[in-house]
Amino acid sequence: MTIELTVDDTAQVRLWHRVSQFLFREARLLDEWRLLEWYDEMLTDDIRYAVPATDVRDEADALGLIDDDAARLRQRVEQLLAGEVWCENPRSRTHRMISNVEVLIDRGTHLDVVANVVVHRFGHRRSDVYVGKYRFALVVDGESFRIRRRVVVLDHETLVEHGKLSIIL
Amino acid sequence: MSTELRWPVGDPIVLDDRERLSFRVDRRAYTDDDLAEREMTRIFDRCWLYVGHESEVPAPGSYVARDVGGRPVVMARGSDGVIRVFANSCPHRGALICSQPAGRARSFRCPYHDWTFSNRGDLVGVPIPDGYGPSFRKADFGLAQHRSDSYRGFVFVTFDPRQPRTLTEYLAGATEYLDLIDDQSEVGMEVIQGAQLHGARANWKLMMENSVDIYHFRALHKRYVGYMESLGSVPPRRRGGFGRALGWGHGANELPPAAARPLAYWTPMFGAEVRPRIEATAARFVDRFGAERAERITGTNRALLIFPNLMIIDAIAITIRKIDPIGAGQMAITSVALAPKDEDPDIRELRKSHYLTFLGPAGFATPDDIEIIESCQRGYLNRAVRYSDLSRGMNKAVPETTDELPAREFWRQWDRLMYGDDEHPEVVQRVERQGAEVR
Repeated sequence: MTIELTVDDTAQVRLWHRVSQFLFREARLLDEWRLLEWYDEMLTDDIRYAVPATDVRDEADALGLIDDDAARLRQRVEQLLAGEVWCENPRSRTHRMISNVEVLIDRGTHLDVVANVVVHRFGHRRSDVYVGKYRFALVVDGESFRIRRRVVVLDHETLVEHGKLSIIL
Repeated sequence: MSTELRWPVGDPIVLDDRERLSFRVDRRAYTDDDLAEREMTRIFDRCWLYVGHESEVPAPGSYVARDVGGRPVVMARGSDGVIRVFANSCPHRGALICSQPAGRARSFRCPYHDWTFSNRGDLVGVPIPDGYGPSFRKADFGLAQHRSDSYRGFVFVTFDPRQPRTLTEYLAGATEYLDLIDDQSEVGMEVIQGAQLHGARANWKLMMENSVDIYHFRALHKRYVGYMESLGSVPPRRRGGFGRALGWGHGANELPPAAARPLAYWTPMFGAEVRPRIEATAARFVDRFGAERAERITGTNRALLIFPNLMIIDAIAITIRKIDPIGAGQMAITSVALAPKDEDPDIRELRKSHYLTFLGPAGFATPDDIEIIESCQRGYLNRAVRYSDLSRGMNKAVPETTDELPAREFWRQWDRLMYGDDEHPEVVQRVERQGAEVR
């Protein structure tokens, strides 16, 4: 049996595929510590990268764990690559699993995308797992996209076990 | 193992030699499970402990549930407006009567048998009451209420019914610093929503020491300092600063700002736009408090250690850091930001942004602190090196902030509580003030 796709369906499948490929590439660059490439090629100039607190997740005024503008995120990348972050020197190995990718809103040039993510981190005799949800605002950029807003909502109650969050999730 | 590497039981942990200007701490203090257990009864069951800030329970019925000194408690503002701290355990069979971390409630209901308690702690509902005889009185089964009190909005509790000191007496010289913090708003200070709940695989005392250790700042936090300088942070206009002993193990460092203060010390890193507002605030404080005290409130940084496990760091942002032991080799850290309730929204954003730059599990400084104290904890596995040294500044009448006076004060009180005379703690108490170490 074959399933016939309407023109609309085909476009949606294509979009979903392109978005998923984009997220997978991002995961690969981050896992391979190709952070400058990631910063230069996948983000907009007005990128906002945020990780909300684990006790208050949806309050706009709340203090989170990370709320980087482009300059601070760039600094974070440079510190990581320069080996200035003691807990990432030597570099940890990370392994991102992304699933449940959904395009929630498609405004043609702008997309709201969510996905589930699990990041495993190994190094310094530790193994940490970060589990959460990606909430991305993407901007269409030719055949690909750029990330304008990158929010990682962690599901953990606390980070008592992890202590720190030294990688880019 | 050679016998030299064995430690005789009963050797002192804290070696405080004021003749030879030597101060050493036996590293068993960080690793020994028996000592960790003893700390819970000798220190956490006896001291006044920080629970939270009044602004976290702003309205009648507001509550927060958290652990204090290893015990689950509820801090609730009753319908009568009074803040009380209860044991979070049903007087009937023990279940938590409150499993939400925060909220607002007229009453708490234990899910086990539906016993219901008012937000003032009274038992108000018992299902199927005919199962009890005439001697059963609801008044005997209210929530266990702990002795609590607050100073300038900071709520503390003590689990020791024989604790001889009031909270204000216990806080001793630390009140001066809490005043300097709470005076930063005429309408009151508030905890900003969103706690950083993290921890470290290290003994809790290492984080206390680290929080009053400014000696490490330029070495360990190069990346933070570098970033701040790239933003236009300028060196302090005044040199100096000093460490102080405040009594009962409390201590503080006080120093000129290294960068800027949202209230109220402007430097170019804050941007020209907010300059008039920050300088107007500074001027208003001069009017209210006079130049000298205003400078101390608005133009000076401080790190306050309140024994045993509270740090309040008032610098480019204010953080309240509560540090809880989980056995000898792990701790939980709860960090929240404190700010004036009436803060200008733009300046609040600056404060939050700079808080995150430095602080928390993903800041540009705190993760390095955590990594380094975890590294110390690992280093202690090599027991051939028996002592840590905390003697910096013993050679000075007024130790500097790069000295270790507050840490020594912490350890002296730790030693008194762990090994002093239970009935007469005053006998071994020796309060040191104004940074001068009694010899």
